[in-house]
Amino acid sequence: MPTDSHIDVRGCKLRVQRDGRGEPLLFLHGAQGLSGWEPALAALAERFDVIAPDHPGFGRSDIADGVDDVGDLALFYFDVLKMLGVPKVHMVGHCLGGWIALEMAIRSTAPFKTLTLLASAGLRLEGVPRADMFICGQDELVQLLFAGNDADGWKQAWHASPEWEDIYDRNRAAAARFSWQPRLCNPKLARWLHRIDVPTHIVWGENDKVIPPAYAAALKDRIDGATMTLIPACGHLPHVEQPGQVAAVASQFIQRVAP
Amino acid sequence: MKVFVFHLMPYANLDMGYHDKYRAAWVVLPNSYFDPKIGHELYNRYLDELELSAELGFDGVSVNEHHQNAYGLMPSPIVMAAALSRRTKNAKIAILGSAFCLREHPLTLAEEHAMLDCITGGRLITGMVRGIGAEYYSMGSNPAFSHARFQEAHDLVVQAWTKPGPFAFEGKFYHFEYVNVWPRPYQQPHPPIWAPSTGSTETIEWAAHPSRRYVYLQAYSPVTSVVRYLNYYREAAQRMFGYTASSEQIGWSAPMYVAETDEQARKEAGPHIEALFNRLLRLPFEMMFPPGYLSAKSLANMRSHKRSVTGQEHTVHSLIEAGIFLCGSPDTVRKQLTEAHRLLGFQNLLCLLQFATLPRDLTEKNIRLFAREVLPALQQLTDKEYVGMEPTAPVAAGPDMATVRVSAAE
Repeated sequence: MPTDSHIDVRGCKLRVQRDGRGEPLLFLHGAQGLSGWEPALAALAERFDVIAPDHPGFGRSDIADGVDDVGDLALFYFDVLKMLGVPKVHMVGHCLGGWIALEMAIRSTAPFKTLTLLASAGLRLEGVPRADMFICGQDELVQLLFAGNDADGWKQAWHASPEWEDIYDRNRAAAARFSWQPRLCNPKLARWLHRIDVPTHIVWGENDKVIPPAYAAALKDRIDGATMTLIPACGHLPHVEQPGQVAAVASQFIQRVAP
Repeated sequence: MKVFVFHLMPYANLDMGYHDKYRAAWVVLPNSYFDPKIGHELYNRYLDELELSAELGFDGVSVNEHHQNAYGLMPSPIVMAAALSRRTKNAKIAILGSAFCLREHPLTLAEEHAMLDCITGGRLITGMVRGIGAEYYSMGSNPAFSHARFQEAHDLVVQAWTKPGPFAFEGKFYHFEYVNVWPRPYQQPHPPIWAPSTGSTETIEWAAHPSRRYVYLQAYSPVTSVVRYLNYYREAAQRMFGYTASSEQIGWSAPMYVAETDEQARKEAGPHIEALFNRLLRLPFEMMFPPGYLSAKSLANMRSHKRSVTGQEHTVHSLIEAGIFLCGSPDTVRKQLTEAHRLLGFQNLLCLLQFATLPRDLTEKNIRLFAREVLPALQQLTDKEYVGMEPTAPVAAGPDMATVRVSAAE
């Protein structure tokens, strides 16, 4: 069972779930928060000490004063790692969380053992538009996020929590805070991706309608030595839609490059 | 009482069949629906309507700002205000409001408003609004910072109007080494500032603050909400800030239509007022309230409310019964307004006399009849007729949803 606690990060109460044993793995969630990721967590926890915070303003974490954009979040997570006393982690970031991981990595890869990017935001690719998750109603959003596998199951599980509406609204507001404009990207990020010098794995749903797989290829081109894995029959939430497969390919990559 | 004619300048010729293909007349409705030749005619017709209103003795004419939609064609209300400034002599020109905080550069608006105030010899009223949620999609501004940006844009503009320049302004969102606005506004210390809103406790308290005492203008609401919000302004002034608000500090804005009889008024205005509320104001929840646009408190309040209004279509009758739309013979409307004034004491009234598809002839008839049969009585109303405030239950936070049709599909 995961432990669930709050840590105080210079005045911000940050909610952190932690499960498993092994080398530490920091999971940075996406714009939709952590809902529905439990099976992937369980699978990863078989091999790693998985640390999964709710970003400031998301889920059950406070808003952190002065943490207003993804660059701020990157610096915030350097502080978090220091506080947790984990000098090196396997970094896994999904969507917005992938973007945070990228912003950290271009600043310093010192705390990174490896980097895994799941359907990561952050990059801007001309001519390949990203979808707007904010303007969608809930049903439309579910259509957008999933390739088709058990979207209803996810929605039901998600609605089962009595707090879901509250969390849903908090997550949307926090996601807007960090990614409203430019939407889900930092146009200057590409300029600095050459600085990433740790083994990097790019994992993407083949049917991602939010950030199309062209972004996976573009990240692979721009990050030295990166490996790419496309997951068939999978949309923008690979760890939710194909949790077993995602946990397996993520673990295998880490095993291979950092045995 | 001061009585203004307010215009939204809608795209009256909108093909209402849009509704089958697009989920709003905002943000996503392609601008190919706009025909510039029709736009040319409409703009000139609407300006005629406001100029006529000024000639007929209304105290002011009013325009506002909306972006990228068919509901109101004034992304830059200053253009319309400037056109009106030379064609009116004594009427106030009220921009209610302008979304200073949507702009990357609110100083350009501070300059333009100051120009207009000088041109008109001090006839300008400046309204400050955040803009509606849809505009955060259209203009890109981050809704999560909207409240903070609104405050800062306000501070910047008021300082630019009142503080001797040049000075540096160093905010969170706006940074200027040299703020030194030429021209300075004609009115000193600055043009009157109004705060139009559909009802947000944050806005009411902000407007009522003793350092501001801005006119709070309640727009588009059932009369029961108008009562709550206008009284809340007086209560906030009294309880939170320890002063008695003057009736000049509050106003009400509503669509109105008068015709020879009650029945005729309903018949003539019916399809047009329904088009306003069911088509032009049709907005999915996510568009109306982008993430972060409302405080967590307001949003929580709304969530319970939103389900109850989902999918409702307004009819002319339901709008009249709710007191959202004032419609009837001049006698009926005069009595309604006189009675509302007796209970609420507002000294400012904004009359939306053209709405949605209401054509030129009916609009002109409405303006003339209202000016002849209703306006004189209203202009006589003073605080003497106001009964004074009776304490009411505390108002709930959050904007009023009853008037906006949130589409069922959401």
